[in-house]
Amino acid sequence: MATDTATAPATTETDHDHPAHLEHHFVSTEQQFDSAKLGMWLFLITEILLFAGMFVAYAVYRQWHPEAFLEASVTLDQFLGTVNTIVLLTSSLTVALSIHYIQKDEQSKSFWSLIATLALAGVFLVIKYFEYTAKFEHGIYPGALFDPHGAKYEPLANIPYVAQFFSIYFVMTGIHGVHVVVGMGIIAWIASRVYRGHFGSDYFTHVELTGLYWHLVDIIWIFLYPMLYLV
Amino acid sequence: MSTDASAAAVHAPEEGAHGEDENYLNHETGLWSWLTTRDHKRIGIMYCLSLAVVFFAAGMLAMAIRAELIAPGQTVMDADTYNQVFTMHGIMMVFLFLVPSIPAILGNFVLPLQIGAKDVAFPRLNLASWYVYMAGAIMTIVALVTGGVDTGWTFYTPYSSSTGGGILWMTAAIFVAGFASIFTGINFIVTIHKMRAPGMTWNRLPLFIWGLYATSIVQVLATPVIGITMLLLILEQSLGIGIFDPALGGDPILFQHFFWFYSHPAVYIMILPAFGILSELIATFSRQRIFGYRAIALSSVAISLLGFMVWGHHMFVSGQSAVSSIIFSLITYLIGIPSGIKVFNWVATMYKGSIWLQTPMLYALSFLFLFTIGGFTGIMVGVLAVDVHLHDTYYVVAHFHYVMMGGSVMALLGGMHYWWPKMTGKMYNETLGKIAVALIFIGFNLTFFTQFILGAQGMPRRYYDYVEKYAPLHELSTYGSWVLGLGLFLVLGYAIHSLYWGKKAPANPWAAATLEWTNVAALPDPHNFLRTPLVTRGPYDFHLADEVFGGGDGVGDGRAATAGTLEAPKPAPSAPEPQESH
Amino acid sequence: MSQGHHIIPQRVLLGVFGSLIVLTGVTYGLAQINLGVLEVPVALAIASTKAVLVVMYFMALKYDNPVNTLTFAVGVIFVGIFITFTLFDTAFRGDIGNVSEQTVREIQREEEELQRRQEALTPEQLRVAPADFENAEPDPEAGTGADADRGGSSGGS
Repeated sequence: MATDTATAPATTETDHDHPAHLEHHFVSTEQQFDSAKLGMWLFLITEILLFAGMFVAYAVYRQWHPEAFLEASVTLDQFLGTVNTIVLLTSSLTVALSIHYIQKDEQSKSFWSLIATLALAGVFLVIKYFEYTAKFEHGIYPGALFDPHGAKYEPLANIPYVAQFFSIYFVMTGIHGVHVVVGMGIIAWIASRVYRGHFGSDYFTHVELTGLYWHLVDIIWIFLYPMLYLV
Repeated sequence: MSTDASAAAVHAPEEGAHGEDENYLNHETGLWSWLTTRDHKRIGIMYCLSLAVVFFAAGMLAMAIRAELIAPGQTVMDADTYNQVFTMHGIMMVFLFLVPSIPAILGNFVLPLQIGAKDVAFPRLNLASWYVYMAGAIMTIVALVTGGVDTGWTFYTPYSSSTGGGILWMTAAIFVAGFASIFTGINFIVTIHKMRAPGMTWNRLPLFIWGLYATSIVQVLATPVIGITMLLLILEQSLGIGIFDPALGGDPILFQHFFWFYSHPAVYIMILPAFGILSELIATFSRQRIFGYRAIALSSVAISLLGFMVWGHHMFVSGQSAVSSIIFSLITYLIGIPSGIKVFNWVATMYKGSIWLQTPMLYALSFLFLFTIGGFTGIMVGVLAVDVHLHDTYYVVAHFHYVMMGGSVMALLGGMHYWWPKMTGKMYNETLGKIAVALIFIGFNLTFFTQFILGAQGMPRRYYDYVEKYAPLHELSTYGSWVLGLGLFLVLGYAIHSLYWGKKAPANPWAAATLEWTNVAALPDPHNFLRTPLVTRGPYDFHLADEVFGGGDGVGDGRAATAGTLEAPKPAPSAPEPQESH
Repeated sequence: MSQGHHIIPQRVLLGVFGSLIVLTGVTYGLAQINLGVLEVPVALAIASTKAVLVVMYFMALKYDNPVNTLTFAVGVIFVGIFITFTLFDTAFRGDIGNVSEQTVREIQREEEELQRRQEALTPEQLRVAPADFENAEPDPEAGTGADADRGGSSGGS
């Protein structure tokens, strides 16, 4: 090390035999990895706090109008909600496996795990699409357009504050859906980089951080599922 | 530079391998090099310029408000314009100036230097923060062009969810600008945790770093909530989701909860880094170890956490439950404890110190005086019964201007003067600096102390017109704003003057003992340190840093420093070369 | 410092996944029967258990640097603060004294009635404190007016 420093000024970026992915302002890959991970966790708690706003709205309105929430939640499709829960949990497993494989230098398995995650995320969105359109057909819109009619939705028209439930339902699942879409984009990008062999057991920060993000999306859904569909 | 020369090299860092001329300002030039820079120092400068423009614009709006209020009735603008002017003054000052101000300018510039790092942990994110901030600022301008906003900076529903104009753009702008704040917060926390130089333990961190750390916690935890609040408000306006609008079954007080869950902690985003600056200034200009280091450091963190549990004190007369009012009022009193701890510790630091009354120290003393008034009046409005009388009067206006301007802006000005030599390599004019402090201090008190009296007499805030009995005090307040404005323009004037004609600054003009002064060239190198420093002492251990601060023989009184006889503390030695352990 | 590089064995991941699926089945099954007041706490408890499993194993906090766990915990705690303190208001909304079932008109009528009764009182009836009697001695005429005012203000409050 010392001889390296003697030949080049300490301020240049290429003075040590550092790996290519080590940025100049870090001392070691260890430091870089730890920093990225802590940064990701901090970002995740901002996401949690973002959803906290909607959880508060849910708690307040549920406490004020429990009957309306009960009547409204039974019109949601419990079966589809449960299927979607299992789909997301499985996608969490596959993304965890992709990290497991990349840590063992099994790039191909890691790649296919990510592709599986991507496919499961797609299934989730398709099911969500069918749920939404089924609602829209019967005038279940968020907000001022709310006008329930037909089938099991007819009685909702006479219950006050049912619209609040559906507003919260659409906003919560909508923002969650946006996160799923963003996550799919990131996973696709990371999968392509894994395919091109950018990562291995010595450097897999991006894969791990993507995994953390995807698990958070899963955790949010773990709470949305019972709150909206079950109780 | 050879390896065995490390000890000699750090003694005169400016004589590094690049010669005396290369520094962070001139190692690459051109607009593009600035717009694509990842250097935390340059990003700090870019934030400085942007925020100066915002401060100027918002300050001019303040002058317009005072001009309108100089006499009852219409004087310079009509009532609708007035509503827009005070709204824009509030929004710009709070969201676009005070929240980013100290962390984005001085935090960005100083933080890596003070902890001995080459840069912040995520330089690209840092640059992204500036771009996101600019996007927010541009959206604010769009909001102005598309009809303006007259809701007040608090956007209370149902008015904000039913009024038109630029409100959609404005809420979106705040949503976007919030990300700039989050990026900065994440960056700073990670940098402080992971990027400290060898030997820079948590107990050796300069107190400015502790202030920034506490600030960043608040930024990360609180800012997402204003994001979701603004998002829900936008959905309320566009879709009518009925969460906040009582006409649709929503609850307007719930909006206030959402809004203040961010906006009260945001007050601490503004004041906590100011506390940090104050600790630096008072220790350095008293030539004294800070009194109660741990108490000051931990009280910052305590404030940042307690600050999340007091937001309801903005809502005592909103109709929230008495139970919550009592709880919020009680915790509001508790906030006084860590704030008081700080003030007492600063005063104790000055006791028997060799106080050197340079401009930054004068700002620090102004801060102590004004912030104490602001803090005490804050306790008063935190009292439930008293607040019923004072709520939404000029008393509250005066209170938060004493804290925000008398606290935050005074500290920012003090910090800008203190680090000006490091940022620009030039000294400002000390005499003009002192005159400006005097003008600002007198002007500020004239403007806002009168408002305490007005408020106690019952003058409501945000009113366009008022009865005759308030006229003399309003008039006095407006005169005060002119003095204050003059002082601030004087600062701007000599700051620009110093850039071109200022004396060249030495590496450590204040004989301070923190790393950015002891181990960095007068104008920092693009990579800050030629050698990573090895920290062996606390940030204010002047006696350990250098034995030459002759005890009581007058050397330490500071005049000697300008004459060049007071030797600055010795730089920290270099850390051994890092070993890639993997 | 190498906590971040712990490789979680495949069977642990699969085991956690199995538990998550089982818990999902349990919470779905419990939703079909009526648990009364316990319904929400039970559902949230199961959801929290699932979330903890994901955080500890999938997100590897169990093997990670404690500072990351602290970060996450602080985030969760502040969500709790947000919800709890907002509910302090919304759950007790209207407990403040001036919120009443009466309309403003009714309150006004009541106040006018009180005022009328007040005015009907004779100066003698209004004398309660020793000072009232002292003031009344030298000049009964002036004392009456002052006493009436005093009585009026105390009655109105």
